[in-house]
Amino acid sequence: MTTQLPPGIQLEKIDDRIMTLNVGPQHPGSGHMRLIIKVDGDYIVSCDPDPGYVHRGEEKMAEYRNYIQNVPHLERPVIHDSSNILYPYCLAVEELLGIEVPERAKYVRVIAAELNRCIYTLYWLAIYGIFLGHSTMFMWPAGDRELFIDLLEAMSGARVTHAYLVPGGVRNDLPANFEERCLRQVDYFEKRLKEYQAVFYKNPILISRTEGTGILSRTDAIRLGTTGSVLRASGVNFDIRKKEPYDVYENLDFETVVMKEGDSYARSYVPYLEMFESCRIIRDAIRKMPKSGSVRTKLKPNPKGGNEEVYKRVESGRGALGYYVVSNNRPEPYRVKISVGSFRNLICMPYLLKGELLGNMPAVYWSLNYWPVEADR
Amino acid sequence: MSTAGGIIRALNSGIKHLAIRRFTLRYPEQKLKFVGDGFQFNPETGVGIAGLRGRHILYHEHCTGCQLCSVACEGIAEAIGMVKVNETWKQNKKAIMPQIDYGKCVFCGLCVDACPFYALYMTNDYELSSFTKSALIYTPAQLAIKPKISQDVEIKIDDRGATHG
Repeated sequence: MTTQLPPGIQLEKIDDRIMTLNVGPQHPGSGHMRLIIKVDGDYIVSCDPDPGYVHRGEEKMAEYRNYIQNVPHLERPVIHDSSNILYPYCLAVEELLGIEVPERAKYVRVIAAELNRCIYTLYWLAIYGIFLGHSTMFMWPAGDRELFIDLLEAMSGARVTHAYLVPGGVRNDLPANFEERCLRQVDYFEKRLKEYQAVFYKNPILISRTEGTGILSRTDAIRLGTTGSVLRASGVNFDIRKKEPYDVYENLDFETVVMKEGDSYARSYVPYLEMFESCRIIRDAIRKMPKSGSVRTKLKPNPKGGNEEVYKRVESGRGALGYYVVSNNRPEPYRVKISVGSFRNLICMPYLLKGELLGNMPAVYWSLNYWPVEADR
Repeated sequence: MSTAGGIIRALNSGIKHLAIRRFTLRYPEQKLKFVGDGFQFNPETGVGIAGLRGRHILYHEHCTGCQLCSVACEGIAEAIGMVKVNETWKQNKKAIMPQIDYGKCVFCGLCVDACPFYALYMTNDYELSSFTKSALIYTPAQLAIKPKISQDVEIKIDDRGATHG
């Protein structure tokens, strides 16, 4: 009896050597995406990532809302990095509408973005820990993340979806005594961060699972167009905050973290070291920030852009994040295109997983700093 | 570094945490203290005042029924609808005021930014759960009530770690 099989599904004979596995989309180790993996015994022969399960049409939605109404829904793709995903949108719209941002607002935005980068990296580190079977590394970052969530809650009024950055500055000024509170919690956090070394990064069990798995060479990293921590872990010194400084990053004192190895260990170690740099930036920004002044430029009720197009990008937790905004003399943008770091890094998955052990799949997959919801937009 | 040494160091680092105070907030008994009386907005300067974005508070004596909050919410959550009220205010000839559906509201606070008459603010009240969907729709009379709040726990940092309270 031969029955018609639905497209994309094939039957395997009992003596076939290659087996096809569907990892996801409901599998907790894959996020909201599917990996079609072909295995020969315990080794991966080929991997075909299948994203698109959480596509929400953010870009199309942005064409029906005015420049301010776009703020709450555009941060939805990465709610735990919501300041960074709004940052390039605000920069682009400010250039389109010709808005001058007050000096204090620029520093406040940098502080919000760096706090949010730490929140994102800690969340990612917690997931990376639990999928390698290290439940202590799930609990510690998840607990320490609370310090930054409380800071951003005092700043913006919401725990996760802040809607804090708007074209023209930020929504509200910092609360009283915020600077001391922020410095105290950042100092404590740096002390905590050093404790992660012994329990996770210098742990021989983690090293044996991640060192030498999924090696991405420097030339491959450039050729495949990866960004962010994946690129920097392969030895390329590229950080948008240094190369194309936006707002006040050129006045601030920090270093780019680069590692040469290009394996899973390096890719997980670079974001960790970047959290120290984020703490440095926050401390420097609080010192150099003007102590008073406005934080938001007053806009007209329904601001209209000219016949222009602008592309702006920033360094998010997952790499370069760009917005291409086109306006055509209307209160709504004509087109908003979001270029995200997650999608750029997804392309190297088939290259990295080929020949790898199936058990090492989570170690490679999560080291790519991939966020499915952001990649699908 | 030897493998055994590394494992012992990792275990040692974990054991040290037995002496550290726990960070967990015991929620229904303890409630976190927030800055200010909720998110507010000053229409003159165009800048908000920091605070938690919880349930709204509506000042009936200031509301003019201009519908700007409802217009601001269009395309974001569409949670605000204008309803008739049985009150007579000099500034509110149409006698309409906002009614907010918390089943839809995303707490972005852009309606507060839109109000030019100091009528709509947000409060520290975030406990809004209910058993029915209809109970989530707050009428203008319900929105006028000032919430009773007892939030007093703050993060404390000392030598034995960070704790709540």
